[in-house]
Amino acid sequence: MFSYVFMKILERRPRSYDRRMDRATGGRIRRVKEQVAALAPTHARVLEIGCGTGELASMLVARGCEVEGFDRSARMVAAARERIAAEGLAEGFTAYEMGVDGMDGLAETAYDAVVSTLVLSEVTDDERRYTLRHARRVVRPGGVIILADEVRPRGRGRRLIHRLARAPLAVATYLVSTATTRPVEDLTGDLTRAGFAVDSEQPSHGGSFAIVVAHRPKRVDTP
Amino acid sequence: MSPVKAPKSPVKALWGLLFRVFPCPTAAGLRQVGAPDRQSPVLVTCNFYTTVARLTRRLSRRHVDAWILVVDSKGVNVWCSAGGDELSTDAVVSAVKTSGLAERVDHRTLVLPPLGAPGIDAAQVTERTGWKTRWGPVRLGDLPAYLARGQRRTEPMKRATYRWPERLDTALGSLFPFYLAGALGFALLGRGLLLTYLVVAALALPLFYLPLPWLPGRRGLVKVLPLVALGAGTLALSFTGPGAPLASFRAALVIGSVTLVVYAAELGGLASTMPSDLDPFLAKLGIGAIGNTAFAGTVRTKLLNGDLTLTHDPAICTRCRACVEVCPQTVWTIAEEGRIHLASRERCTACRACLTNCPTGAIAAVGREADSS
Repeated sequence: MFSYVFMKILERRPRSYDRRMDRATGGRIRRVKEQVAALAPTHARVLEIGCGTGELASMLVARGCEVEGFDRSARMVAAARERIAAEGLAEGFTAYEMGVDGMDGLAETAYDAVVSTLVLSEVTDDERRYTLRHARRVVRPGGVIILADEVRPRGRGRRLIHRLARAPLAVATYLVSTATTRPVEDLTGDLTRAGFAVDSEQPSHGGSFAIVVAHRPKRVDTP
Repeated sequence: MSPVKAPKSPVKALWGLLFRVFPCPTAAGLRQVGAPDRQSPVLVTCNFYTTVARLTRRLSRRHVDAWILVVDSKGVNVWCSAGGDELSTDAVVSAVKTSGLAERVDHRTLVLPPLGAPGIDAAQVTERTGWKTRWGPVRLGDLPAYLARGQRRTEPMKRATYRWPERLDTALGSLFPFYLAGALGFALLGRGLLLTYLVVAALALPLFYLPLPWLPGRRGLVKVLPLVALGAGTLALSFTGPGAPLASFRAALVIGSVTLVVYAAELGGLASTMPSDLDPFLAKLGIGAIGNTAFAGTVRTKLLNGDLTLTHDPAICTRCRACVEVCPQTVWTIAEEGRIHLASRERCTACRACLTNCPTGAIAAVGREADSS
């Protein structure tokens, strides 16, 4: 999934973002979002962190969900609204411009599920911890969080191969977009530390990408 | 959350010194210098490795206890990242909220880097976080004195300077890749002149940057003219003497002159005291952006090209002095009865700090026609 580093280039053109990302990743990015949508509960209240152009939101709304999405890019939010409206799904979708630091303004236990794809590899360590802490706060007890993101492969050999293969793409992306992403070091560990119970982890692409499902325990067992 | 350790990477230190045009990130987050307590100052900076390392070192040497809030500026230094909007109000707000800073200190005051003012709207930071803000000294070396004075700036602390160590430091860091690219070109295409290039291009850097303040003009391409004219004149004179023995000398003159022009082309990228030549030039060539850094159509480029000009509307000015505080060039001053006065358009480097921080829009960049009407 090294081609995800190109995301930073394509984000500059929201209208063609999905088409170009699909091409750059050989259609994998859409399949990942389909997987995430399939893992999410149907007819649920869903928060999408970093909704981008609304591709995942549209899949979720089509499954009967009521989706609230935010993105720090105003252009992405506009593209998402446009897309969902064009698909006739506007009633099930609300989008607004906000960074993850705005999550403290979201209501407690307001959602049945929180989803996010390729966001946590873009933010700082502090922002990632903060995001997961607030994700736990806003999802109801028993509710789920589904994350799909670039992760650092486990094992020294795999890490080295991953780093060597990714470096030229990351440099090329930086030269064009002056931005890049950073694979998440320990996604399941971060979720556990935030108070989620990890249900499943689906690693792929030599362990450089993962879809993780976790839930907020209904009650906290005290030792 | 435990604060991030002080950066100590010789590779990054070298990279930050010689390849400053590329990012050199260090982890964003809250760091500590010395043994800060709940009353210690909070200094905000970028996550450019060299800046964080130098800041930490400078404060440690003076035994200052402080918190350093390292904001994610994508590994770019304060001046450049503020100009490119990486070091932005959003980035500072996010760092304040996500770093756990509020749990570490009792006060609610941030000391912001003033060269970050083009990207950071201090009033917005306060509105969105509840933290008060103060602009620190422009030069990192003045921080210990600034803190010792109770976080009050002297007039010199507010102004950007470009002293010779700073000139050589920034010139070396920003121009070394160009030097290297030239060396590569000669190695591939004209190996016979490689040594001449290496020596002449290395000497050209101090030749231009040491006497820079005394060279006439403001823009780099104007300042370099006397040196290039000197080179061209010497070259012309050389043809009056014997030819063959002077061939390498002539080559050195040509190489030196071309190198000087390259070195002089982007002063705005090197110093906060001079406007850029490269941005408006690239915009005129139709190169609108490199990566996410836009040239064409930006307020900065339009100001530099003279398509826009700064104006001040006293009717809606609240005399808050934000413009005076953030301008590194004393473009804005305070006249009688606290009125804000546009003292010098000539000194303006189009950094946008006043535009970003004017809370009422009293300062604006308007088209020349609108200004004259």
